[in-house]
Formats: sequence, structure tokens, C-alpha cells
Amino acid sequence: MLEIGPIFRALMRNKVGAVLIAIQIAITMTIIVNSVFMIVERNEKMQRQSGLDEANTFHISSVGFGEGFNPRSTVEADLAQLRALPGVVDAIQINALPISGGGWSMGLQTEPGAEHDGTGVAVYMVDEHGINALDVEVIAGENFAPSDIRWRASRSPTWPNKVILTKAMVEKLFPDSPWADAVGKTVYINDNDPMIISGIIDKLQAPWVGWDNVENAMLSPERMEFTATRYLIRTQPGQRDRLMPEVEEMLASSNKQRVIRGMRTVEEDRERSYRGDSAMIKILTTVMVILTIVTALGIVGLASFSVNRRRKQIGTRRALGASQGAILRYFMLENFLISSVGVVLGAGLTIGLNILLVNTFEMNPMNWYYIPIGMLVLWLVGQVAVYGPARRAAGIAPATATRTV
Amino acid sequence: MLVMNDIKKVFRTDLVETHALRDFNLQVDEGDFVAVTGPSGSGKTTFLNIAGLLETFEGGQYLLDGQDVSQLNDKARSQLRNEKIGFIFQSFNLIPDLDLFDNVDVPLRYRGFNAAERKRRIESALEMVGLANRMKHLPAQLSGGQQQRVAIARALAGEPRFLLADEPTGNLDTKMAHSVMELLKEINQAGTTIVMVTHDPSLARDAKRNIYVRDGKVSELHSVGQELPDAANA
Repeated sequence: MLEIGPIFRALMRNKVGAVLIAIQIAITMTIIVNSVFMIVERNEKMQRQSGLDEANTFHISSVGFGEGFNPRSTVEADLAQLRALPGVVDAIQINALPISGGGWSMGLQTEPGAEHDGTGVAVYMVDEHGINALDVEVIAGENFAPSDIRWRASRSPTWPNKVILTKAMVEKLFPDSPWADAVGKTVYINDNDPMIISGIIDKLQAPWVGWDNVENAMLSPERMEFTATRYLIRTQPGQRDRLMPEVEEMLASSNKQRVIRGMRTVEEDRERSYRGDSAMIKILTTVMVILTIVTALGIVGLASFSVNRRRKQIGTRRALGASQGAILRYFMLENFLISSVGVVLGAGLTIGLNILLVNTFEMNPMNWYYIPIGMLVLWLVGQVAVYGPARRAAGIAPATATRTV
Repeated sequence: MLVMNDIKKVFRTDLVETHALRDFNLQVDEGDFVAVTGPSGSGKTTFLNIAGLLETFEGGQYLLDGQDVSQLNDKARSQLRNEKIGFIFQSFNLIPDLDLFDNVDVPLRYRGFNAAERKRRIESALEMVGLANRMKHLPAQLSGGQQQRVAIARALAGEPRFLLADEPTGNLDTKMAHSVMELLKEINQAGTTIVMVTHDPSLARDAKRNIYVRDGKVSELHSVGQELPDAANA
């Protein structure tokens, strides 16, 4: 028969240790549940797809120098060489790279005029090979034709008259109509410059992984006549690492009036961009593990102390008819009651801390099911921690009742 | 009721072997009130522990209420202890964090009685020892004599057939000891068999039978009225 009433009343008469453990459990639960929520959120953020064929894509920069350096002919020659390389799926000149941390952004609006607010969008300037090199899919409309591609001079304020947008961007610009209907519609850049949506792509992330509009991206049909430029190369599966030094060597040797540098894989870009999130996950995980161990040790300590202090009492209970199982249950139940107070208090504190985090750091509110899962975990930690001392208590001989020392 | 034939109990450490009981023979009949005396270390408490199923033994046979207890597992021994034996300890062994009601309730819960039955038995037992009005008091709020009365109530609440008392007056002054002894006699007269270990020859004389234990054996049996050896000096 469960002894909830007597155990609870006994705890109430001798509550300092139990209350301290309950508070420890509550604090542990508060920190663990909020940490797990943050870890899951960060992990989900890190798992988002950029849209690129990340495992098989790298990029490299070219910086020209000297009066004889011709950006346009260099780009044309470089792209021809790169695309002809065995193992290369496609290559493009591009102004910025998804999830790399640095790039261009503009505002697009559906009505012309400075009085209208634009929706932020990452700008990728690419030619007709962009779709293939970036490994994105045109899900409505069409890709750029070679004739759509223009050359952009440095500091040029004008924009082409066509644009390809991500589906996410289209849904933000035209929330009230089906996204596929946006093909052929006009959007405005720089307040008044019209661009006709010629195609919609499935997915392409912006360079800034922490940006609220990270899914908003546009492809502008242009090549850049800049001294410093960047190439994105997509290779066949498994060819990337072999091709990287080959490409570097080829570009460096093909034109002596420029410097080749900054060669990195997209996977490295991802690692760099999410380094902070990754570190946060490691720190939170470490804190959670340490806290759980400290709390478990606290429970073991209290239970062990309690068993040692009550040896005679346990012997007496055994003498009065308690089996070893009954003594084991007694201590498990006692811990369950202490843990219950702790997790109920912890549930309140967890919600409180989450509200504080939401208000202070603009985090998302925690899903409700984290609370009962956290309670279950802490209950389980308590039961596992108390099992050893409870087993020792159950092993106390009934004859202890008649011993005077 | 209680039959022990050639019981042996040896305590072993790495260095020594101590024969606490050797060829210990005893029979206690239903309704008896047996006082067990003997010098310190003679084996009185070991006998009591074995009789109360608090300890196992190496050899011999022990029949409790006709049942051979030597092969019982812990659960069966606990159940038998709970149902047939009541314990009274020298230090009362009340649980300090529980009030009198909950203290008397301890063995009844292990028995599996429902709440109403437990309440009836607890109130009746505390009434019998004159402490029904102190049910919500803690043991520390009672005198030694009162605490031993609570212990007796706890032992009797389950209506055991057999009461084992280990120096029940050892921690009480003379007046309290006399009061407790009178209560034990009343309980015995009501039909409960009692085996009491004591150092005090004057208390032993109040029992129906006296057993003198020396070196782990029953060395002398006395009927009421015979002169007992002084246990402390034996």
C-alpha cells in the first residue's frame, strides 16, 4: 500500500533538505527545458537548406590589377574554361554567395513610388547558367535567356527589366494570390525601376543566416564588369575536392594580371555562418549535462544521508512487516513526491523564463509539450538517482531495529 | 506456538567466529508469558531476533505457529512478521517524524487493511493504552512511558498472536516500568502470547515462565516463584 500521506506529512515536518532538492530540481528543469528548446530551435535553423548543392559547390575570387586588366574578357574566358573542365557541372560569375555572411540586399515593392515600403531581398547577379550552377529549380515561368543577360558596370544604378524570385519572396510580395500567378507581374526596385517576374524558383537562401528574410532572394540577369569578382563552381558528386586546386591553378595561370584567392567550399561557408549557433548548442548541452549530474548527485546525497540517518527506523519498519520491496518503494515514492514539488515549481519557472526570453531576445514562445516532457525527464532522473540509496535502504537488516548502537 | 529445536547462530567476521546460539531449544505455548533473562552477550537478543524472524539461523528447526520458517524468503518472512508478531523495543523505535496515529498505522499499511479498518484499529489500540487523545502528537511530545505505550499500541493494532518485547522497560524509570509491565500482563491475560527479554529479575518474576540463557543455550528453566540468578552479575 502506497504511503503517500505519511511520507508527505513526515517531509513537511523535516523539510529543509527536501525543499532544497525540490528547488534544485525546479531550477534544473527551468534551465534544461529552455536550453533544449533553444537547442532544437538552433538545430532546426542549422538544418535549413540553402538551396545549393552544398556538398559539390565551391567558390573562388579573382582580383585584377594593372591598367591592361580587362574584366569583361577575363570573365568570359574564365567561365568558358571553367565550364569546359571535366567534372564541372556548371560555373557562374556571382556577386554574393548564399549563407556566406556577406552580400547585397535591395527592397522590392509591388507599387512604384518612394512612399511604398519595399520587402527586403538578397540580390544574386547571375547569367542563364545560374539556375544550373546554384542547383535551384524553376517552378513557374522560365529561366533567363542568354539575350536577357546584360553587363553591369561598377557603380551602375540601373537594373535589368527581368527578375527571378524565390517562392518565399513571391508569397511575401503577393500574399493574397497564388504564388504561381506572379509570373509576368511587375515589381519595382529602387522605388521606381520596374522588373518583370520571368520565373519563380523553389528555394535559395540569402547570405545572412540570421536575417528574418533569409528565404527572400532574387536572381538578376547580369554579369559584372568589376575588377574583383567571384565564381561559383558546381561539380559532379565527389569531384569537388579534386577540382578545387585544379581550378585555382588554372585561373592563376590563365591570366597574370589578377590574384586568385578566397577559395572555399559552401560547406565551409555553412560552418562559418553557423559557428555561433553550433557553439551555443555545445555550451547549452554542457550546461544541461552538468546541471543534470549535479542535481542527480544532490538527490543521491540527500537520499544517502536520509538512509544513513534512518537506519534504525528502516530496521523498525522491516521488523513491523515491511519487505525489502516496500522499503525500496518508500524511498522511491519519497523522491517522487519531492521531485513532483520540484517539477511543478519548475514548470512555472520554465514558462516564466521563456516569457522573459521571448520579451527580451525576441525568441519564439516554447511549445507546450516541452513542459510535460521536461517534468517526465526530471522525474526519471530523480528515480534513477534515488534507486541506489533506496536499494541500500532495502538491504538494511530488520535486526537493526533491536541494535542499541 | 513457538518451537525451537537445536537452533544454531554463528556471527562471522574475517578474524573471529562467535557462536551466539548453540543447540538452542525452547517451546512457548499459546497464552504463555515468558521472560528471558541472562547476562550481556548470552544470546538473548539473538534469540529474540530469530524468534521474530529478524535474523536467519544456520542450523536447527524453528516452527512458528506450526510453520517451518527456515526456508521462507524475505517477502514471506516479512508477511509472517507483520501478521503474527508484534514487537516492543527497548528504545520504543517510534518514527519521530510521524504522529502517534501514523506511527501505529505503519504495520497496518503493510498488512494491506483499508483506511477505515486501519483507523478503527489505530483508535482502538491507542484507546487501550490510554493515549487516544494524543493521536496527533509527535513522539517527542510524550514521556518515555507514553512512548512505550504507543509502541505497545503499534504492536497490538494488528492483533498479533505473539508479542516479542526487547527490554521493554529498559529505558523507563521504576514507576513507568511498573505501569508498562502491568499493561503487558493485561495483554497476556487477554490471550496474547508474550516473550520478553529483560535484565531485571523483578520484572521477570511477573512473567508466567522464566528462561535463563547463558552462552547461547537455555541453561535453566524456572517456574514462577523460583529464585532467578542476577542477570547483570551472572
